[in-house]
Amino acid sequence: MSFSLNMDFQFETTVEKLWSALTDSRKLAKWIADNDFKPVVGHRFQFRHQPNEYWDGIVNSEVLAVEAPHRLSFSWVVGEERHTVTLTLDDLGNGKVHLRLEQTGLSNKAALAGAQYGWKAWVEKLEQVLAE
Amino acid sequence: MSKVQQRDVFDAIADPTRRRLIQLLAEAEDLPLHELASHFPMGRTGVSKHLGILKEAGLVKDRKVGRETRYKLDAAPLKEVQDWVAYYSNYWSANMMRLGQLLEEEEDA
Repeated sequence: MSFSLNMDFQFETTVEKLWSALTDSRKLAKWIADNDFKPVVGHRFQFRHQPNEYWDGIVNSEVLAVEAPHRLSFSWVVGEERHTVTLTLDDLGNGKVHLRLEQTGLSNKAALAGAQYGWKAWVEKLEQVLAE
Repeated sequence: MSKVQQRDVFDAIADPTRRRLIQLLAEAEDLPLHELASHFPMGRTGVSKHLGILKEAGLVKDRKVGRETRYKLDAAPLKEVQDWVAYYSNYWSANMMRLGQLLEEEEDA
């Protein structure tokens, strides 16, 4: 049994700009976490979230698919959790771009407790940033 | 985890027969074994074992009515599954807010 997460977002931008925000390591760092991502299939990289006492903050990933500027897929491994994240971009015209996020393979709760603690702290930080 | 729950709800829903049982029970007030068993090729004993696992997870309650046992869904433990998935959805929603901000900043630059 595994669970899948499907989420849809819309941005007022161009496909090229959104693609760049998804595939440029420095930009990824601004909205996910520090990383050594490269848009090259087979490249292994890490997202390094703020560590806490329960979790080292590290997500181990490998680039699975790069189809500029429409589809990006990478693995997402934390502890025993092995997921696949796929981002699909769709130009809606009129300066709007649709982004679909799919995270598949959610199965084991082992990594959850620590991560939950981490995200909670992180979301609070985000709220502070937004309030500034 | 409540004290009556002896089994992980994720185990309980890991099997397609048990997911179908949950669905059947969700559509009715309560159902007896023979009625539930009529939906599966495995016979009453097999269905009864699956109901036992659902019961251990707190997803099913049973009660005797005359000579038959009737089964009823208690969906409350499924919240744990929902929370588990919601956690990832919160994570990405927050990230996407930042992505939106980043794209706006680029627009201004």
